[in-house]
Amino acid sequence: MTELSTAISPPVAGTTTSAVSIRGVTKRFPGGKGAEPVVAVDALDLEIEDGEFFSLLGPSGCGKTTTLRMIGGFEYPTAGSIQIFGEEVGLLPPNKRPVNTVFQSYALFPHMTVAQNIAFGLEMQDVAAAEIKERVGNVIELVQLEGRENRKPKQLSGGQQQRVALARALVNRPKVLLLDEPLGALDLKLRQAMQLELKEMQERVGITFIYVTHDQEEALTMSDRLAVMDHGELLQVGAPETIYDKPRTRFVADFIGDTNLLTATVIDGRAVRLSDGSAIRVENDRPVGSTVTVAVRPEKLGLRRVESDRDLTLDAIDGHVERVTFLGNALAYEVTADAGDPRATLRIRQGNAPGVEHFGVGDAVRVRWAPGSATVLED
Amino acid sequence: MATTLEPPTGEAAPPSAAPSQLGLERDAERAESRRGFLIGLPSLLYLVLFFAIPLGIVFVYSFGNRSRTGRTILGDWTLSSYERLFSSLVMQITGRSLGYAILTTVVCLLVGYPFAYYLATRPPKVRGILLVLVMIPFWSNLLVRTYAWRVILGSDGPLVQVLGAVGFTDVRLLFTPFATILGLIYGFLPFMILPLYASIERLDFSLVEAARDLYASGWEAFRRVTWPLSRPGVIAGSILVFIPSFGAYVIPEILGGSRTTMLGSYVVLQFLSARDQPFGAALSMAILAVMLASALLYFRSGAKDVG
Repeated sequence: MTELSTAISPPVAGTTTSAVSIRGVTKRFPGGKGAEPVVAVDALDLEIEDGEFFSLLGPSGCGKTTTLRMIGGFEYPTAGSIQIFGEEVGLLPPNKRPVNTVFQSYALFPHMTVAQNIAFGLEMQDVAAAEIKERVGNVIELVQLEGRENRKPKQLSGGQQQRVALARALVNRPKVLLLDEPLGALDLKLRQAMQLELKEMQERVGITFIYVTHDQEEALTMSDRLAVMDHGELLQVGAPETIYDKPRTRFVADFIGDTNLLTATVIDGRAVRLSDGSAIRVENDRPVGSTVTVAVRPEKLGLRRVESDRDLTLDAIDGHVERVTFLGNALAYEVTADAGDPRATLRIRQGNAPGVEHFGVGDAVRVRWAPGSATVLED
Repeated sequence: MATTLEPPTGEAAPPSAAPSQLGLERDAERAESRRGFLIGLPSLLYLVLFFAIPLGIVFVYSFGNRSRTGRTILGDWTLSSYERLFSSLVMQITGRSLGYAILTTVVCLLVGYPFAYYLATRPPKVRGILLVLVMIPFWSNLLVRTYAWRVILGSDGPLVQVLGAVGFTDVRLLFTPFATILGLIYGFLPFMILPLYASIERLDFSLVEAARDLYASGWEAFRRVTWPLSRPGVIAGSILVFIPSFGAYVIPEILGGSRTTMLGSYVVLQFLSARDQPFGAALSMAILAVMLASALLYFRSGAKDVG
């Protein structure tokens, strides 16, 4: 495999310039008759570093695919600049850009064999026949499709077609590989296997991957960094841990994973008061007395029986269990606070590990917040 | 099934249940095929009555003899009509028909492909309107439409006058090969456009994007992806234009002259003027054979790469 990684290595990588640099990019599509134009991407700024596995995440219609298509050259930006390793490409056609795409439905040429599909890009670049043969052979080995060179795409399984699509792009040694929900058509088991494989392959070849998905779990698993988009706007960019643990807005907190959103009043820079009167420690920079939304993940909350009032009500809410759902590896609780108007409802998730106490509906419980588990949202 | 529905009569547990089940299954299948036959019966009758029997008559007549008065004598079978097919006149007319049909097919393809492509890439609403425009000519008689060309191309028609005004005097358009081929193209172009449209419309345009992504220029993407994938339409359209052009009668009759006689007219001539039914029948059989052969050849050449 070592000679493969040199066979498919990124072109000379600039150390200072970003792999892809998107500055002030807007894309408007003409609306219907007399209708307002549709803004698919709105003044987007994004820097994607060399060698990164970068994901664009968001619900359908959020502009992530349009952004990818503008990098690939299938759409031209209405305004702004797109640079790939410092070279302006905004208005270049796809065949003049040092990027390749893995399409959502693979878009394999049905009238060509696996080998012909993979060789297509090299033939178009007038690479010598001997070199084409060698590079196609190498990449077929890389995606483990040996022996299937002469099959037509229709004769392959979904997972194999996916590999052909990947091979067809990688064989050209693009500076950046664009992937448009490439695993969307696969079933869950295969998808999870391909996620790991893709990530491994990206590390091996060292090419910058830009990956579009609406699947938050996929984005969290695979990415070095990810960008959450909605309505053509960039909401947050960061490492998966940052996005998950410190979401900046309500939408990001809600879109990624499960979350509790609670209304609170700022006590000082280090604590807020919830509606039931309990004080929760959370770092913030809001004015004292202002109303804010606090987000906390269900698995970061602990559940205890109320035995004594030995522990103070700091970082704790007393309430009653409203509902219990057994999930196999975990238990999901819904707890309603004993005080406050309206009474807050909290979702708590506890791992089904030995020694963890289980509670039933109606039990009086105390919800404990680990310090630093909550975050104050901007909106 | 009937046996199992009967009330259980103690020890009369049927070992025959399995075989009778099989028999019933066979009955059901037979009933199924009978139904299929009944549904197909009207069209079958129609084909036998108006296609197979007349064709049989023509086939039989082609081996007949012509009496001096022009009556056809059956019974005294001969191959002489088929021998006459190789006369220089018939060869000349056949060659001309073949040439006109090929030219018509090629021009229809050259004109029809870009139009079908344009059609297939329009938004659905525009597409609907354009499709109707393509099909409108079908709603009026070919004869009438062809006579319209006679007016347009006539010696005092608008085209000749315009040509005269810019200095080309003494131009004759009507009754020339040009008029005949123009008429054929005009008449059969929709038969080229519609199958082309159907196959281009089915094309997954992300394949073209993939080709462009893989460094193909617009032209290369067309040559390597769009064209081969639209071949079924090209083949179907070409057959649909070539076959009726080769045997055309109405159009060359109205727009052509004596020097542009095509096979269709020549067949009619045998039946109506020369009163030589055996020769006319033999000509018809020969035309049929050429058409069949060309269709088979074309289908086979296409079947190789498609799918």
